[in-house]
Amino acid sequence: MNFELSEEQKMIQQSVERFVQENYDLTNRVKISSEDPGYSKEYWGSMADLGWLGLAFDEEDGGFGGNQIDTLVLMEQFGKGLVLEPFLANIVLGGGIIKRAASPAIKESIIPSLMEGKLQITLAYAEEQSRFDIEDVATAAREEDGGFIINGKKSMVLNAESADKIIVVTRTSGSQVDENGISLFIVDASSEGVEKQNFPTVDGLRASEITFEDVKVSSEALVGEKDKGFKILQAVVNDAILALSAEAVGAMEVLYKDTVEYTQQREQFDHALSDFQVLQHRMVDMFMEYEQCKSLLFRATLETVEDPDLAQRTVHALKHLIGKSGIFVGESAVQLHGGMGVTEELRIGHFFKRLLVIDSQFGNADFHLDKFTNL
Amino acid sequence: MLYFAGLRSKKILIFTFIFTNFNTKNMHINLSSDDLAFRDDVRSFFEENKIKAGEDYFSWRLGWFEKAREKGGWDVPKWPEKFGGPGWTPTQHYIWEQETAKANIPFDLPFGLGMLAPILMNYGNEEQQKRFMPDIRDRKVNWCQGYSEPGAGSDLANLKTKAVLSEDGKHYIVNGSKIWTTLAHVADWIFCLTRTDDSGIKQQGITFLLFPMKQEGIEVKPIITLGGSHTVNTVHFTDVKVPVENMIGEEGKGWTYAKGLLEHERTGLAGLSKSLVELEQLKDNARSVQRGNGNLMDDSSYKSKVGELEIDLLATEFTELRSLASAAAGGEPGPESSILKLKGTEIKQRIAKLTVEASGIYSSAWGDKSAGPAFAKGGTAGYLNSRYFTIYGGASEVQKDIVAKKVLGLTKGSSK
Repeated sequence: MNFELSEEQKMIQQSVERFVQENYDLTNRVKISSEDPGYSKEYWGSMADLGWLGLAFDEEDGGFGGNQIDTLVLMEQFGKGLVLEPFLANIVLGGGIIKRAASPAIKESIIPSLMEGKLQITLAYAEEQSRFDIEDVATAAREEDGGFIINGKKSMVLNAESADKIIVVTRTSGSQVDENGISLFIVDASSEGVEKQNFPTVDGLRASEITFEDVKVSSEALVGEKDKGFKILQAVVNDAILALSAEAVGAMEVLYKDTVEYTQQREQFDHALSDFQVLQHRMVDMFMEYEQCKSLLFRATLETVEDPDLAQRTVHALKHLIGKSGIFVGESAVQLHGGMGVTEELRIGHFFKRLLVIDSQFGNADFHLDKFTNL
Repeated sequence: MLYFAGLRSKKILIFTFIFTNFNTKNMHINLSSDDLAFRDDVRSFFEENKIKAGEDYFSWRLGWFEKAREKGGWDVPKWPEKFGGPGWTPTQHYIWEQETAKANIPFDLPFGLGMLAPILMNYGNEEQQKRFMPDIRDRKVNWCQGYSEPGAGSDLANLKTKAVLSEDGKHYIVNGSKIWTTLAHVADWIFCLTRTDDSGIKQQGITFLLFPMKQEGIEVKPIITLGGSHTVNTVHFTDVKVPVENMIGEEGKGWTYAKGLLEHERTGLAGLSKSLVELEQLKDNARSVQRGNGNLMDDSSYKSKVGELEIDLLATEFTELRSLASAAAGGEPGPESSILKLKGTEIKQRIAKLTVEASGIYSSAWGDKSAGPAFAKGGTAGYLNSRYFTIYGGASEVQKDIVAKKVLGLTKGSSK
């Protein structure tokens, strides 16, 4: 048993930490978020140059051959600055599908440009009725003239505004909620029949509703086997849960530490707030939740690296705890900061919003508790 | 003698309490025929005076209050009869609150009507009452409350805004800053706690002043809250001149005047009638979220949370009634009233949180032009802003200190 990061991972961790400290103060983040495209192209370029975008790709595809632990190292540090660059959409979601299931030709045409930050992709999986069930897919792809025609609507697609290509989860057979009969297609965002409605999200990122109306794709656009897309999707969603959980752990660390610092400075009733035992205990609770989340994050990540199938239950446990504890830590930080906590002026409110959004992505605390207890 | 009365309307459990001269000692939960008649009267008044399609909102609003006034003080329900109020029984007040929570009536702001007016009635001189109360009643002047300061949050008495008497004794010169001033950017006047003496304990030497907001030396800056809205502000005073006749009561006694009001504010913040309506709305929203062959209200964990919330609400509603009843019987609210703000604000936060959960993936969509069901738009903003409920008007931690000290008689606590 060894919970130490490798020397390389430690170096990356320090380099990301420095990047976040130097570039992600609140003012700068708010500015980047409010201007199109909602992230910094310069930072995205730096991330590519530093090799961060290629960490998790296989060596035979030109990557560094890393795994979920490397992504954890990155995401935890990203979480400390609420980094806006579309790492999750491009590398974990889109890239995750491509590296697992795409043909050598597609891999070759996409992975190098992804790692260079020159091409952007995303994954469109959720639908209006699906809530958190990834197998609930109504968007249909029907075979015609050796290709496919896609019709349907996808919801809350991250980074769609900037994406050149969209991986669409479609139904090619079976009933709407069957795990069998799901197929993945890679579609040009500029294809005829693709309509995007873009909007901001609570945490200052961007998402879109996308309609697909008679969108024609060739059979080469199929990623993985027809009807067998669910397993790939599930694996990628699990990776996304691990990545978001790492980000959440980074955000929780900032929240509890900021709160400890603030209560030592703020005086009320002739005492520093930190003198009051009831507030001390609340901060101890925040700290405990953070540590427990970190433990379960390591557990779920290490188990996934060993055997993704066996890790499934722990991944559900992780997302449950991250959702529940993240909101507890966020609400507590706000409460202990008093009125200032409910404003846009301090960074803690922004971290709280991000944790709230993380709970709503890839299944909330209730959803994963239910999955966990039934598995 | 105290009796409880209630009825089950279509969706909402309505309880109220009555005082009667019955010779029975049994509690019951029925409304008297008089109270039923009053309730119907209120309902039909609301129905008859609804806004019509195409009607200008603001002229409708003023007209509405005029008609309410003709009903016999319905425009100022909480004012005593002496000042033109309706002189309702506690039961009638409760019915009014229940009905207003459900009906579409014009907005009203609490600052002049509910906060300043009682202070004017109790501590203002006759001239001040004549000068300020008619405009408050006619909704002509918007007031804001200048209490909290950057260094004085839950520890309100720690305020530093200085008021210094001019040499000729005609004015106070006010310097300092207020924070969390709700609607200061649209207010005409402010009622303000200022420090005229800092030689004694901090509760002494506080003076209650009234002055116009639109004058030189006053700067209002917006504070944007997490929900993205501009309601509260910081207000800076630089050499603001306030005539001495705008001081309420005696110099240095302002804390006493404000404190009574604060306690009133803290019970008022419970907002239970509104929570009852919002709970029903929450259930409707959850029912509109399809899950398999059913909906979100069939989801066992979601349903349990709604159930637990409703149980808390049922209990808290009766806690409020018991509190009102003991206040009406003996003047002083009973110990149960101390938990109302704590429970009431927590309930509001839980409703907001469950709305976010019902919104599912759409809870992260931001703004009117985003995606998802209508209730999801603004639901998350509402939740984020709801975090303020356990902070303003005395943070929950301070409320608990007060309960520990005053109700349980425990001597250690922060709010000395």
